[in-house]
Amino acid sequence: MLRRELMKLACATGLAFGTGGLALAQDAPAPFDNPQDVTIALVRYLSTGDFFQAYLSGVEEQAKALGVELRVLDSRQDAALQADMVDQAIALGVDGIIIQHGLTESMKAAAQRAVDADIDVVAFDVDVENDSIPQIEQSDYLLGKLALEQAIKDNGDSFTAGYVYVPGIAPLDRRDVAWEEVKKANPGITEAATFGTLDNPIANSVANQARSVMQANPNINVVFAPYDEFAKGVKIAVDEAGLNQDIDIYSADVSTADISAMREPDSAWVATVATNPAVVGRVSVRALALLMAGENVGEQVVVPPTLITQDFLNENDIKNMDDLSAKMPQFANADVATAEWIPVPGK
Amino acid sequence: MSGERLLNFAIRYGFLILLIGMVLFFSFAANGFASPRSAVFVLQSVAITGILALGVTCTLVVDGFDLSIGAVATSALMLSAYSMVILEQSAFTAIVLCLLMGAFVGLVNGILIVKFRVPDLLATLGMMFLLIGLQRIPTQGNSIATGMSLSADSVAEGVFSPAFLWLGRHRFDLVIERLVPVPVVIFLVIALAIWAFLSLTRHGRLMYAIGSNERAAALVGTPVSRYKIAAYMISGVTASIGGILLAARLGRGDIASGTNLLLDSVAAALIGFAVLGAARPNAFGTVVGALFVGILLQGMTMMNAPYYTQDFVKGAVLVVALVFTFYLSSRRGAGGKV
Repeated sequence: MLRRELMKLACATGLAFGTGGLALAQDAPAPFDNPQDVTIALVRYLSTGDFFQAYLSGVEEQAKALGVELRVLDSRQDAALQADMVDQAIALGVDGIIIQHGLTESMKAAAQRAVDADIDVVAFDVDVENDSIPQIEQSDYLLGKLALEQAIKDNGDSFTAGYVYVPGIAPLDRRDVAWEEVKKANPGITEAATFGTLDNPIANSVANQARSVMQANPNINVVFAPYDEFAKGVKIAVDEAGLNQDIDIYSADVSTADISAMREPDSAWVATVATNPAVVGRVSVRALALLMAGENVGEQVVVPPTLITQDFLNENDIKNMDDLSAKMPQFANADVATAEWIPVPGK
Repeated sequence: MSGERLLNFAIRYGFLILLIGMVLFFSFAANGFASPRSAVFVLQSVAITGILALGVTCTLVVDGFDLSIGAVATSALMLSAYSMVILEQSAFTAIVLCLLMGAFVGLVNGILIVKFRVPDLLATLGMMFLLIGLQRIPTQGNSIATGMSLSADSVAEGVFSPAFLWLGRHRFDLVIERLVPVPVVIFLVIALAIWAFLSLTRHGRLMYAIGSNERAAALVGTPVSRYKIAAYMISGVTASIGGILLAARLGRGDIASGTNLLLDSVAAALIGFAVLGAARPNAFGTVVGALFVGILLQGMTMMNAPYYTQDFVKGAVLVVALVFTFYLSSRRGAGGKV
């Protein structure tokens, strides 16, 4: 414990002098004994939205704490461009690459080219089908599973559910696996309606749909909305219909806005399950650093999700993501892909 | 002879008959569809796109087009959240800022098109991208909500004021308690105002004249440029009203591109061409077009139809409406817009 505090202090001093973690450099393995000569690249497919913004900030923090240079290449959902950007990173002579999202088909060959060029690569939430590239994952399956376990704990194993789902979106598909499993294991759960849309602004479009669904199925008492924009939309509809005492919403993901929505008086949104995107960003960098230092991180690095209930938020008077990190250590830091020589960013 | 009368009848009333048929179908097929509350949901779900569609109708009238309305709406959404949550201003200030922003964007669009001769689609397309980017700059791409961390250990303390949220959430009593939401009332008021402006005033008729023959209108002394700029300003202001209502309903500043808002409202305005065989942009048609899409989506959602079938049906309706407008009307000989 003391050692960790000392490390933080050392790290903070290092940062204060603008040399970023140099204080630790002597016991760090190569190439991190000279971190200023190390460059890593983050090649992104998705970047718009709170989750991706927070992920990026996590990557930046951890890169800064290590003292390495970070290059961010953002393809803005252009699959071909993302593959080109990997080649660009290879040409720049970076030492490590994080591939963030993307399509297997377009990234597989590009990732192989990077590996062939002797560059260490990790991939977040995209399967590039390469044994030498570890996968960083926030377990979407567990995200769905934990939310549903809470729903069963609160409502018993028989209830009438509305389910918000749009097929073909990878994380939603993985969360759907948990839903199908739970439904099968609990015959008392009936799915009265499935709806969902990604029409932008999503919350508004989902609210319109949810209004119709609740009108058509007044017996729904649980809504499983495993994406926070969905949950927001359902909550708007529930409030408008005045059903907030009768319906419970279980979701996934969390943000400051979600926290305030969950904490509104008599809010129907009772629980969500989330991994901290900033933590996922840090884990991505740490896993890459371990790999570059020649350590084995395994094929998969899973960042475990955390259950966040309305009661917990109210009891601890949590107002935003920073409060949540402070009150919920397992949310603020995942004990994944760590090493003595890797400083943990944060206060 | 009777064939021609049938055709005329089809052109004039075909769409309205289709609308009534659809309502009857869903009343029987979808549980809970036929109720006053259900009718209000339809109105509510189309209120925001309807308001945007009325604005785009004005630009269509002068033979223009405004692709920036969706982005104006989401910019107004972000601006209202920014001024209340981060700058801690009142609801009134937020609304005024949004309306001014909408008018200003319209003015710039108009000037680009009229003075700098940039084609309307290109000018407003550029404006759309500009706004989508601009609205994200102040918050570095984050959504705005009370309690969000600002730089240097401070937290956004402002809240959406109750007066502002009232705009999106309050419901007036009408026979049934708490039935009609404010956005629906605003939608109907704007529809009435734009209808009256376009079809009853001299200004409206001059705008139609500009739309059908700009040169002729200019030769008889119409200040064409001013009317065109005015049309874009109306479109910008209505779009910002749509954004304000969206913000009031969501209660937060959500990052969104507004592309779907744009597409849905343009679809409503185009479907409106076909209503009553008008074969030209008109406010009444736009409202019916918006309702048509709204009823379809509501009914299909109630029947558990997945989202992609809804897009498919929306597209089919639009295509049928365009056939009504362009093919049947040209056969009638009266001629469409072109």
